[in-house]
Parts: sequence; structure tokens; C-alpha cells
Amino acid sequence: MEKKRTFGKRDLILFAVIIAAGLIGLAVLYLRPAVTSGTVEVAVDGAVTMTLPLSEDTEVRIDGVNGGENLLVIEDGKAKIISASCPDGVCVRHYAISRDGESIICLPNRVVVTIRGGEKGEVDAVV
Amino acid sequence: MRLSRKNWKGLTAGLLSGMLVLTAGGCTPPLQRFSTSFLDVFDTASTIVGYAVNQQTFDQQADDYHDLLARYNQLYDIYNEYDGINNLKTVNDNAGIAPVTVDQEIIDLLLFGKEIYEFSDGRVNICFGSVLEIWHDYREDGLSHPEKAELPPVDLLQQAAEHTDIDSLVIDQQASTVYLEDPEMRLDVGAIAKGYAVAQATKTIVEDGMENAAFSIGGNVSTVGWKEGKEGNNWVIGLENPDRTAEDYLLTVSISDRSVVTSGNYQRYYTVDGKQYHHIIDPDTLMPAEYMQAVSVIAEDSGFADGLSTMLFLMPVEDGLELVEGMDGVEALWVDMDGTVVTSSGFDQYIND
Repeated sequence: MEKKRTFGKRDLILFAVIIAAGLIGLAVLYLRPAVTSGTVEVAVDGAVTMTLPLSEDTEVRIDGVNGGENLLVIEDGKAKIISASCPDGVCVRHYAISRDGESIICLPNRVVVTIRGGEKGEVDAVV
Repeated sequence: MRLSRKNWKGLTAGLLSGMLVLTAGGCTPPLQRFSTSFLDVFDTASTIVGYAVNQQTFDQQADDYHDLLARYNQLYDIYNEYDGINNLKTVNDNAGIAPVTVDQEIIDLLLFGKEIYEFSDGRVNICFGSVLEIWHDYREDGLSHPEKAELPPVDLLQQAAEHTDIDSLVIDQQASTVYLEDPEMRLDVGAIAKGYAVAQATKTIVEDGMENAAFSIGGNVSTVGWKEGKEGNNWVIGLENPDRTAEDYLLTVSISDRSVVTSGNYQRYYTVDGKQYHHIIDPDTLMPAEYMQAVSVIAEDSGFADGLSTMLFLMPVEDGLELVEGMDGVEALWVDMDGTVVTSSGFDQYIND
């Protein structure tokens, strides 16, 4: 009978390395902080004028129609309108948005701010 | 287990047929989620969410839906004229002068309006335009010049209220004409038109092949099919919190092939001397109704849900609750003046945990 090769020290090292690599990979996948990959899309009168990363804190002015203005703030992965020239201020009273598909709309200035990508939003419509 | 030749054969055959099944399954392209919004119909913001095989299919269907709504919007508009069509403004402008020939969509809406009038004991009245016009003008002025915002004078409202008799609305179905006999009377279909148009447009787009979508047209949500196109997977609808400082929805409901409509005091209003005056006017007091902050109705037909939500907004919560409990297939949720939530007995089945 042919002598069977035994499970040697080298094999053990190889196995250990493979398993360690796998564990490290898993750890990286599970332990890394949640990445906010979403973007904030700004559209005026139907045309996209700005696309901003949700992950970067910023403050920008949106030029709406007829000289209207809205002040957009992105902070801690959320976007909100903090002031606006429109009379009703519906957009300012809207809560901060962060989930895919959520939007804030300013009807008088024809401004729509929408989250694209990132954390999945569960809600399909709002009344 | 030791694998014999026979076993190998069986395994290979199994694997191959398995792969065939997978490949065959791959022939149906997976449904993707798309959404779009527009701001040019019914003076409100609209959003469509749908599942389709590709962007082109969704865009085509969304465009068609928009065009359907845009047509209803033009027909039911009481403020603007459009080239080549007689709309409700034409009818109003001809009050006491002459019957106006109109499209069937107008006849159907006005007949529906008469039904809702009967059903609501006159609370929801499409012939209340003369009063609502005054509130509309004062609200618009107040929004444009907040420092000069004023309430309409009571005697002006009372004079207008004498010209709201729905029997003066003459609909001639044979001749396809509409006539307001009272020259001072004005139609205002704001309480039902949006919901009615959404119901009709949704019916049409489904016949044209759109299968899985949620349509949100300023406080009116209508759904068809299923979320992700997966049978049994309901759509999730967020109910706005009347408390505008709240960070999230009041709650979410899950529905399919149903409509949700909310009437709320926060939707359209203006401020006079620090007090908010909203747009849903009580026919008894001629002032904004003050029974509640909001009411949401879930029903199959969005036109009916729209009319009913206005009707419920114009009556005490207890009376509305009694009414809804006596109806089949209709549920409602009220947020009273203190922020307390009241629900009809079957509403729980829709609440998302």
C-alpha cells in the first residue's frame, strides 16, 4: 500500500491563514461603520440642478423660480430646509429627510429635494 | 456517503436541470423600483412610485398618468382658462347667462358631487364656491402680505352663502350642458375633484398595463398591485403628523388596492394676528371647521375617500365615528384638537407594527 501523505504543519499554517483571512473579511464587513452612500438631489422646475453627498455637512442656497430662494442644510446625514422666501413655509416645517425616496417640496419656488440611494425608506407615499 | 457511478449520474442530471430552471427563471427581468414627481397639477405636489422592468416603461406610464391628471386639472379648474376647452371656470363665468357645453368628465364629476351632497346632508357642497372664493382671495392676499393679513368680513360671507343652493346647478345629460341658474353662484369642486381625478386616472392607467404603483397627489394616495410586484406585499403609507415639529410620521399604514386621503388643518392655511385659518370651511359657521386637526380615510375609491374625509372634517369626531362604524369597507383615523388619536374599530388591521 502506498504511503498516504499526512496532514503536515504547512497545511495547518495554510488553513489557519485562510480562516484568519476569512474572519478578518467578515469582521470588516460587519464592524465597519454604516456608510451613508445616499445623495441629495435638488430639482428646480423639473430639472436637476445639484447633487450633493448626504455624508458631507453643508449649507447651500437653492435658486427657485421667480427669484425664490430656499436654504438647504445637510447635517449628520440628514437634509432639511431651514429658511425659504415662499409665503407658506411648508418646506421649512418639513422634518429632515435621510431615507431613499424621501423628499421635501416647495411648491411656490418649484423646488424638490429628494434623497437618492442610501438607507432604504420603508414608506412609499405620504398623506 | 460514497458516490457510485449511478449516484454521480443522478447528481449531474439534478444539477443540470437545476441550472436550466434558474436560467429559465432569469428570462423574466426582475422588477425595479422607480419614482418621479411633478408640481403642475391640482396646485400640489405629486409623486408616483412604481415597479417596472425598466426605466423606459415606468417613464412612459408615469408620463401618461401625468397627462391624464393634467387634463382633469384643466377641466376642473375654476381659476384659469385653457385654449379650446370649456372648464368649470367657463361654467362659473356663465352663471345666470347660459348653459355651457362640457365634456363627459365634467358631467360625471358634478353628478358625483350631487351624490356626495346628499350623502353628507349638504356639508360637502360643490356649489359653495361663492363663499370659498372669498376665503381663497383673503388667504392668497394674506400669504403674499402677511403683515396685512385679514379675515373676510362676516356680512360678505353671509351674503355669499345665500347663493349656494345645489338645486340651482342644472345638469342636462342629454345635451351635455351645465348651467348655474343663480348668477351669483359659483362651483368649487376642491373637496372632491382631486380624489375623483386620481380614481379615474388610476383606473385608466391600470387598463393600460401599469400593474404595481402608488400615486400620491397632495393628500390623496391611491395604490394598485403590490410593493415590489410581490403578491401580498402591501404598500406602506405614512400619515403626516399634524404636529409639524414632530420628527416622523404619526404612524404608517399598509394597504393594497386601497386609497388613503387626509383632510388636515395644516395643509393650506394663512395666519391672521398669530392665529392660523385653514381652508376647509364649515357651511354652518362660514369659518374654518374646528372639530379636529386631521382625519384620514381608507377606502377603495379615492374620490369617495376624498369627499368623506372633508365631510368627517366638518363634523364632531364622535358623530363621524358613528357614521364610519356603520359603513362597509371604510375606516378612519382622527387626530382631535388635543392631538389624541381616535380610530374606527377596523382601522387596526391597516396599522403597521
